[in-house]
Amino acid sequence: MRRYLLNRLWQSLVTLVLATIVVFVGVRALPGDPALALAGEDRDPESLRAIRQQYGLDQSWLVQFWQFVSHAARGDLGQSIRTGAPVRSMILSALPVTIELSVLAILIAGVIGVGAGVVAAVRRGGPAEWAANALALLGLSVPHFWLGLMAILYLSVALGLFPASGFVPFFTNPVDNLHHLILPALILGTGLAAVIMRQTRSSMLDALSADYIRTAEAKGLPPKAVIGKHALRNSLIVVVTIVGLQLGALISGAVVTERIFALPGFGKLTVDAVFQRDYPVIQAVVLVTATAYIVINLLVDLLYSVIDPRIRVRGEA
Amino acid sequence: MTRRLPLSLTRFTVSNRHRKAAGAAAAAIALALVGTACSPVQPAANDTSSGAQTPSGQDVFGEPADASQVKQGGTLTVALSADPDKLDPTLSRSLYSRYVFHTMCEKLYDLGSDAKVVPQLATALPTISSDGLSLTIPLKQGVKFADGGTFDSNAVKISLNRDLTLAGSARKSELGPITSIETPDPKTVVIKLSKPFAPLTAALADRAGMVLSPAAVAKLGANFSNAPVCVGPFKFASRVAQNSIKVVKDPLYYDAAKVHLDAIEYRIITDSSIRSANLKSGDAQVADSLSTQDTPALQKDDSVTVLQSQSLGYQGLTINIGNSNGIGNPLKSLGTPLAKDPRVRQALALSIDRDALVKSLFGGLNTVACSPISPKSEFTSDAAQVCPAHDPAKAKQLLADAGVNTPYKVEMVTSNNPDSLRLAQALQGMVKEGGFDLVIKPVEYAALLDQQDRGDFELLQLGWSGRVDPDANIFNFVGTTGSQNVSGYSSPDLDKLLTDARQSTDQAQRVKLYGDVVTKLQQDDPIIYMYRQRNLTGVSKKLLGIQVYPDGVIRTAFAGFAK
Repeated sequence: MRRYLLNRLWQSLVTLVLATIVVFVGVRALPGDPALALAGEDRDPESLRAIRQQYGLDQSWLVQFWQFVSHAARGDLGQSIRTGAPVRSMILSALPVTIELSVLAILIAGVIGVGAGVVAAVRRGGPAEWAANALALLGLSVPHFWLGLMAILYLSVALGLFPASGFVPFFTNPVDNLHHLILPALILGTGLAAVIMRQTRSSMLDALSADYIRTAEAKGLPPKAVIGKHALRNSLIVVVTIVGLQLGALISGAVVTERIFALPGFGKLTVDAVFQRDYPVIQAVVLVTATAYIVINLLVDLLYSVIDPRIRVRGEA
Repeated sequence: MTRRLPLSLTRFTVSNRHRKAAGAAAAAIALALVGTACSPVQPAANDTSSGAQTPSGQDVFGEPADASQVKQGGTLTVALSADPDKLDPTLSRSLYSRYVFHTMCEKLYDLGSDAKVVPQLATALPTISSDGLSLTIPLKQGVKFADGGTFDSNAVKISLNRDLTLAGSARKSELGPITSIETPDPKTVVIKLSKPFAPLTAALADRAGMVLSPAAVAKLGANFSNAPVCVGPFKFASRVAQNSIKVVKDPLYYDAAKVHLDAIEYRIITDSSIRSANLKSGDAQVADSLSTQDTPALQKDDSVTVLQSQSLGYQGLTINIGNSNGIGNPLKSLGTPLAKDPRVRQALALSIDRDALVKSLFGGLNTVACSPISPKSEFTSDAAQVCPAHDPAKAKQLLADAGVNTPYKVEMVTSNNPDSLRLAQALQGMVKEGGFDLVIKPVEYAALLDQQDRGDFELLQLGWSGRVDPDANIFNFVGTTGSQNVSGYSSPDLDKLLTDARQSTDQAQRVKLYGDVVTKLQQDDPIIYMYRQRNLTGVSKKLLGIQVYPDGVIRTAFAGFAK
């Protein structure tokens, strides 16, 4: 297990370095630079030169990369070229919003997806399965942007149930915070709910036809225990994997959702930074995202061993 | 070589309602106007200051709040279409930062609803010496900065010097050839120039005229934007990167009794449909830059008023004439017929039916433009509003005269946002009739600017938001040494006209000179001006006192919620 862990950590470090290099080069390969994006229509060559000099953009890529890496290693992620604010504080204030949004989205998606998946598997061939499949198809095919817009038009504008935009920090007012986040989390969670539902349904169908379920039924266990304790628990391994793998999709979904609902999250920060060619912000968010992605995948792998003891045994062998 | 001559029948009024009549009477008008520059574009409509159901195409600036009808307190939420850049008047370049500055950084001068400069922190317009080399500005007294410091001539001097010297200053070029700033007493500033520079007063009615707290400048230096301090009805409270900015009422403001709101929050919502939805749901009470597609529905909404103000800028097509080396390098022709022959450029201009464009694409909310000078500008004239009529037959003839085979293929670079693409597609269909095969090359905005500066384009669609003084809308774009002459155009005649106009302090002479500038520009067409945008602002009817002026800045500072 220890060797396995060390091996995974080493792989993670290499991935992180590669991701940093790719983003550093990739963002500079894009046409335009922060000075142009900052100056917009109101630019003159002298100002552009001054901006490039001020942020070291006139230096070689190698020098710029070394500066970024050496500063990042000390925890200094630089200053936003557009707003002048420290990138570290920008990320620290955006991250909790996206984490909270994602956790809520996963919770909502989990409840809807697992619930619908179990119902579809148990009531196979009936209208319940048909309805669950139709919902899953809708969840997968409808873009977040459109869904978000519709939710604002019907649930915020017409019915006034939820705010259409804005954010209140959890520790300022927890109720207001949830009130502002439920609609975005629901929108963000729809795609994931559909994926979870389909996965739960298919895993449950496999499990329900397995020998151990027949044995459990033969022992006279009530259906609730057979489904909940035996079939569902075994199906959840695949579901947990899916949630881990879908994290990337969740973050990219958060980009759109945060823009629609004007949430000061990480996704909005990222996409705006790309449009504004705010190199320090882009590099820092990719560094943080890559780290988070790697750590979460690592945790999911470790979680396998908790859910399925056979993996732990094999890992230790 | 056929040129568009002033007495040609190809020019006449393009206003919708005048077009048919003008077509019938064109010959008579042309004869009557021999030697003059034909008919001007009519202003879209008379100004009006109120009314939610105002027909499209009329300016609705809004009215000041009646103190007896508003209650004290409350937080106003403004949905902004883009994130302002640095909240530092010296370094800021974004139009949107002006919305925020207006509430917390007053200027020496401001703009009135008639686009004329009026005093704000000054007490009167500047007294200009007879040689035009000295401006004396009298200042208000008893004014405090938000940090308690005293506003005086020394503070003005520090701010102006910072504009002139700070690395990356976006104000330096706006201030012109200033040699020194003198402060004979705390309530007087004297600006000395090496050459007369007429646009200076208008520049002082924008960010260059904002006065920063000397204490905050000393403390924060180049990081002033992290906690900006000026004189204003509100003061900076907080900023969440790329999401929101909050300002709160400043009790030290000299006219604090007129301020009704407790705070204003600017929330960044980039999608226009979602801004409109926030306005309807009441999550925002003001939304800027409404889409022309959403506006008709909002105009019918009983809870919303749509303020309209015609932009001082323009949307146009820039033709790469001599910018094949990239801006800042020696001019070199692109070598295409469009770059070499003015007749081909004239043909392209004649292929565009501006009237149909404005009507069909923008529901008549935007207005036709054929020059960089807005009909709302105090420097407008008949000559400045002459407009070539849509004449595809003439365009084809010009192409034949220039020896160009039709359809003549032209590549146009444009921004990849939906509005720009719609415009490009409309143009594509339109210019076909005139013998052009327009190929659309959509790119992202920052990439567009890059291609523009590198001279990597044949034709490019982009606009300019506009400034009060025409010099700021023309010189930099078509002057040989202009910092944004991305067309690579060079005409000694035009350069002389522009230099004379910027150095003249005689208003009538400047009006005449800018008329001549437009005539010359329409002969050479380095930029084909197409239309002027209308700044559309949605305002909840629960709110009173929101105003929009021709500079496009939404005035929120003295608004209040209705009782």
